[in-house]
Amino acid sequence: MNQNYRNIISETLKNVQSEYKEIRIEESISTRINYSGVKRENISINSQLGGSVRSMANGGWGFSSFNDINKAPEKMKESIALAKYNTNPSFEIYKNKPVKVEIQPVIKKDPRSIKLKDKINLLDHYKDIILSQNSIKGCEIVYGDTERRVIFADNEGNEIEQNFIHVILRIAANSSDGNELLQSGFSIGSLGDFSVVENLDKEVLGCAKKAQNLIKAPKVSGEETTVILDQILAGVFVHEAFGHLSEADNVYENDRLKEILKLGKKFGNDDLNITDGGKIPELRGSYEFDDEGTPSTKTPLIREGVLVGRLHSKETASKMSEKVTGNARAISFAYPPIVRMTNTIIENGESTKEDIIKDTKEGLYVKNWYGGMTEHEMFTFSSAETYRIENGEIKETLRPVKLSGNLFTTLKNIDGIANDLEINQGGGCGKGGQMPLPVSNGSPHIRIKKCLVSSG
Amino acid sequence: MDKIENFLKKNFDEFEIYQEKSEYKSISFESNNLKEISAKQSQGFAVRAKRDSKITFSSSSNYDLDKFQSHFLELSNYSIDSKIQFPKKINSANTIIFNKKDFNISNNYFIDKLKNEIDSILKKFPNALCDAGFNLAIGETKLSNSNSLELEIDESLISFFISAQIINGNDMLNIYKYDTSVSNISEEKILLMTESLKKDLSIAQNISSTPKKGCPVIFTPHGLYQTILSPLLISFSGTNLSKKLSSLCDREGEQIFDKKITIYDDPHIDFSPSSRNYDGEGIPTKRNMLIQNGKFISGIYDLKTASESSKKTTGSAGRSLHSSPSPTTSNIVMKNGENDITNIIKNIDEGILVDHLLGAGQGNELSGDFSANISLGYKIEKGKIVGRVKNTMISGNAFKALSEIEEVSSNKESIYGSLFLPFLQTNNVEISS
Repeated sequence: MNQNYRNIISETLKNVQSEYKEIRIEESISTRINYSGVKRENISINSQLGGSVRSMANGGWGFSSFNDINKAPEKMKESIALAKYNTNPSFEIYKNKPVKVEIQPVIKKDPRSIKLKDKINLLDHYKDIILSQNSIKGCEIVYGDTERRVIFADNEGNEIEQNFIHVILRIAANSSDGNELLQSGFSIGSLGDFSVVENLDKEVLGCAKKAQNLIKAPKVSGEETTVILDQILAGVFVHEAFGHLSEADNVYENDRLKEILKLGKKFGNDDLNITDGGKIPELRGSYEFDDEGTPSTKTPLIREGVLVGRLHSKETASKMSEKVTGNARAISFAYPPIVRMTNTIIENGESTKEDIIKDTKEGLYVKNWYGGMTEHEMFTFSSAETYRIENGEIKETLRPVKLSGNLFTTLKNIDGIANDLEINQGGGCGKGGQMPLPVSNGSPHIRIKKCLVSSG
Repeated sequence: MDKIENFLKKNFDEFEIYQEKSEYKSISFESNNLKEISAKQSQGFAVRAKRDSKITFSSSSNYDLDKFQSHFLELSNYSIDSKIQFPKKINSANTIIFNKKDFNISNNYFIDKLKNEIDSILKKFPNALCDAGFNLAIGETKLSNSNSLELEIDESLISFFISAQIINGNDMLNIYKYDTSVSNISEEKILLMTESLKKDLSIAQNISSTPKKGCPVIFTPHGLYQTILSPLLISFSGTNLSKKLSSLCDREGEQIFDKKITIYDDPHIDFSPSSRNYDGEGIPTKRNMLIQNGKFISGIYDLKTASESSKKTTGSAGRSLHSSPSPTTSNIVMKNGENDITNIIKNIDEGILVDHLLGAGQGNELSGDFSANISLGYKIEKGKIVGRVKNTMISGNAFKALSEIEEVSSNKESIYGSLFLPFLQTNNVEISS
């Protein structure tokens, strides 16, 4: 670690006058290239440096963030003064075994080694593929790579430096017949691997073709129907339908929810298994330590349909007397860590995609995503591609749909899980104003009966 | 910044330097108790510079100026064609957008206020769990350019929110109220919000049968914004007009909406945090009529999108530190109608009142399409609000929904401190459950 940072940290943490205190320092530099319509719109390099301190007193938190990291010691005093306004019963916060460690980034093909000119040439090429197709009015391309160094230290002796390199790419094509504008797109991402955004000619062309096909596609009418989700959309489904309610900060101070989400309770059928874990390696939601210095883990959430675990920060684990899981994450130094998902996965079942489709008399095959949201037990998510299923066969293209459900019924309505798990890394999660947090979602193809669907 | 200015003078024909410094404070209660008090300070700068009619943008918050300059020069090799000219200073309105004094109100005042409001809810609903908070911000921005513009703008914001959750069996009811202003939110306003939250909680605890397909739909001012105006306004943005992605392109003066619809963007409302005297590029702001009696009047533009559309900027450039300016609305005001909302509801035999949506804005918004789960909506039966609807979706198209309107109410409400909207009844939407 850089000596200047080391000095700031020791100056900030000395004279312990608080039950618990921590400091984070973060440097980042990101390159972004955007295309919109028919041309490149923007290209920028943004660099950031900043830090934050957090302390606990009287059972509550004080937090202060800043760009001028030399002010960290005085900001720590400020945060302790703020924490002292709390008047909650104090509690013993979970303590990690202290480590001093420096973790190098996962690198497969380093985006920093690619010249800006070559990144632009690649994206220009994708743009040209889209624009060369008939009825295409434009494209939306967002490329970004970010190098992040995050340093965490606390008054228990932890000193953890972690380095990350993220790559993301979203490509969408806009088509129109002169009246209506339609869009088809896809997103990918990786931890330290530029090669995921290379050699995508086929996918980019496919995206333009899908946008063209939407022009003539009919809309569905609102109804309850059987839906088969591809791996990408099923990944978004597990994140929205179940993932957010497994975050313990929703539960730990809510007695009714604690009852409803009691470990051991049955939420799905016997073939449903759901896991989350930052410890699953080399994905965008992967890390060794979370933003409270807790080692990442792999947490089974649902086993054979039964709720067996949830995601914790130090505070929620302490207050619920459960084990920490290393899920306290902050999107940047400017925010305090909160309980978040990492890589969330529905595990493989025993069916095949073909069998599930063949077995469906009437319904929709929904693929790829636009977005998703959760509010307590209700959730919605939207497909980017939709096809009619009739008598076990995939038929014509329909307009994208929005799907909506309820934790208590929809998980139990999953009646088919294939064995073709894939993980999508193009997503970002938002919670408490912190977005987009790098996460990944994965699933095999799944079928849900009686899902409420309306034209998206 | 002298060093950056010299660097820009030496290497570019024209330039603009934007600097931002802000301080925030937030006091938050979670599950009925004080949870966290936080403070935040942030600063940074962004530069746009032109050479040979091409523009380059970059930003930084780490003040490593040598690195910034070398990045900027590298980026300038891939600069983008631009015809914009950085403006000279012209005097603008004097709308009140700053109140420094209220930022210094003591933490204890806010803590006591929040505790009081939560207690008043718990008194009536002992099993409720409340979150509540105040957020305070003051910001100072400096904008200068090579056309000798120098602006220093001070802004402030205080926001208040309160929410209550009640769980009955597997039903989770959550009601949320929010307001924001340039100065402290008055005690009367806070009291009104808490009272209306309690009223909503009482009604919403009854779950009603789902409404019939094709029943009349009324939107509350919040529901109107979330369902219809939010996707609609995307088509008014110069970003989409300049790229011919908006269906309003080249249709100025055309009768597109119901005659009852008049909507304008007004940056000069005192004490609204969305008001501004100058936009993010230093252009004096003005009121922009968007729809007048159903006719499309104008979109909103910044310098770039105006030049690409052969229009004039409407003084609508919004900006945040790490991205180039782009057109944004300030306060959106919709003209009210003549009938009081209670009378509108009175005339409905069976219908639905839509207030909050879940999953709005996650589809093909450019076409004006919307589709979402109604997370808070009320059933109307025989002219009265009788309870809440559940597991119901709403979908439609913003243009179609506003092409034929049944009613616009005479009452208006302020939403998020920057939207001033009536209730609206349209039958051109689909309800499914």
